[in-house]
Amino acid sequence: MTDPKLSVVISDDDPMIREALREVLDAEPDFEVVAVARDADEAIALVERHAPAVVVLDLRMPGGGGGRAAREIRLRSPNTGILALSAFADHDAVHEIQSAGVGEHLVKGVSNHDIVAAVRRLGRPERR
Amino acid sequence: MVHSGAMPADHPAEPDFERPAPDAYRLIVDSVVDYAIFMLDPTGRIVTWNAGAERIKGYSPDDILGKHFSVFYPPDDLEARKPWYELEVAAEVGRFEDEGWRLRKDGTRFWANVIITALFDESGQLRGFAKVTRDMTERMRAEEALRSSEERFRLLVHGVLDYAIFMLDPAGRVISWNAGAERIKGYSADDIVGEHFSVFYPPEDLVTRKPWRELRVAVDAGRFEDEGWRLRKDGTRFWANVVITALFDESGQLRGFAKVTRDMTERRRVEQTLTEQRRLVGHLVEAQELERRRIAWDVHDDSIQSMVAVGMRLQLLANRLPEQEAAVVRQLDEAVRASLGRLRNLVFRLRPPELDRHSLAEALDRYFTDVAGSWGMTYRLRHELDHEPPAESAITIFRICQEALTNIRKHARASEVDVSLTSTDGGTLVEIADDGVGVGDDVEPPSEDPVSDHFGMIEMRERAETAGGWWSVGRSPRGGAVVRFWIPTAPGVSRD
Repeated sequence: MTDPKLSVVISDDDPMIREALREVLDAEPDFEVVAVARDADEAIALVERHAPAVVVLDLRMPGGGGGRAAREIRLRSPNTGILALSAFADHDAVHEIQSAGVGEHLVKGVSNHDIVAAVRRLGRPERR
Repeated sequence: MVHSGAMPADHPAEPDFERPAPDAYRLIVDSVVDYAIFMLDPTGRIVTWNAGAERIKGYSPDDILGKHFSVFYPPDDLEARKPWYELEVAAEVGRFEDEGWRLRKDGTRFWANVIITALFDESGQLRGFAKVTRDMTERMRAEEALRSSEERFRLLVHGVLDYAIFMLDPAGRVISWNAGAERIKGYSADDIVGEHFSVFYPPEDLVTRKPWRELRVAVDAGRFEDEGWRLRKDGTRFWANVVITALFDESGQLRGFAKVTRDMTERRRVEQTLTEQRRLVGHLVEAQELERRRIAWDVHDDSIQSMVAVGMRLQLLANRLPEQEAAVVRQLDEAVRASLGRLRNLVFRLRPPELDRHSLAEALDRYFTDVAGSWGMTYRLRHELDHEPPAESAITIFRICQEALTNIRKHARASEVDVSLTSTDGGTLVEIADDGVGVGDDVEPPSEDPVSDHFGMIEMRERAETAGGWWSVGRSPRGGAVVRFWIPTAPGVSRD
């Protein structure tokens, strides 16, 4: 019997990124994108409803940004691993991520492979 | 000597004074050298002659005794019978005083103060005249010199055109008027002398009794200084610097006021233009920053996101294609990713320096850490700032530093950068020195984009100069380049 699929919620305010991310992750046979959010509030609500293994959060989103979403998600769905995507690897981004308790952080523009690997590390930590 | 009145009784009392010898008065008179003191008989012939007389007039007693005193008078006085007239007056009223020219034995003149006193015996018989003459030539010359210096001074004051210099009587009425006053205020002396100086003040100052208050302060403090609007004769206003000085005579009596007024309208206009210019520079800096921020977010939100999405899709596509086509698509993905990196650098440079949250030194430190570190350069930042520069100055400094660092990365092949910030001359001096190849060296490889590099230099310089400062580039002692620039601390509107 195969493992249940690794459930993922995606959130990004940019529709092109949302769709591309969905395609990349759905292309993995063991992943399943269960919901896609367009802002922080949607991300928090969808994660709370689906309790996914992993949420991919854009750091800069309307509605308080990924930082606030990450903090809320840690409270409401503590077992969900958080992957933050940010546009920059600067002081402010790193600081925000550290204080929000994000599991992994990638700068947008990394290869699909890196994104998939990070999601897998967060979603199936026992398989390291 | 002064003695106490309480003397012991057994002490012998000192005599009050010794009676003078009978010839004591003659001795005194004889020895006085500053005054010619001599006697005339009732007809005017000289009967005594003292040392002062000999010194002043040049005659020895042998020369002069028995001669008529008219020998001392110049011809025109003799013609007017002045010596005889003087004796007549002295005999009649007891005394005659005169100042005028007299002659010495050698014929030279001296200016004499003369007092002739008639001498009568107990029976009222005229016995002769005592004549005391003083040589006043020196004093007269000094007075003349003073008069002529006063006259020169008066002419000087009168001729000054840049300042209105005039006098007020104690009540504030104009009593003198110079050319500068006429030029600045438009009144001629005829127009204004006798008028109260409050006519120079605009109505709002008259309501508050300002002219009278100013005089009171000048009397109390000796001096009053003010800057404000004053009126010309034609009713137009000018911005005046005014100093009022109270004038007291030797007895401490107020004699009036000296008033010096300068027309500062032009200077004030220049200052206002400067202030306005600085304000516009502030706006310009602000507008530039706003524009940069907009471009940064446009690039970030649109171009970068699209390219990220395109890259992800190209990778997906490559995985689905046969190897030959997949390689081409992967190359496309690489190209997209390379330009993504360049755009990201652009956005990073365009982003606001966050000077609202950090001091200039902190913001620079953060920026250099992010940038120099990622380029494998070490940097040192030294700062001795008395105060945090105002926002637009700080932004200008930050932006120039940023551009300088970009230049170093592109051309200098440097491994170290030294940045120093110092408060000096009412502004901030910044030095950015590297250990690279220096400026103007032939070893410098041709730039990929010489036009934009040149533009970078121009941009730095223009930023500095627009902010009222300067910018220069030269060779650092270590052989690399040094960019130096100075940005004034923004314009506290002039207070002096």
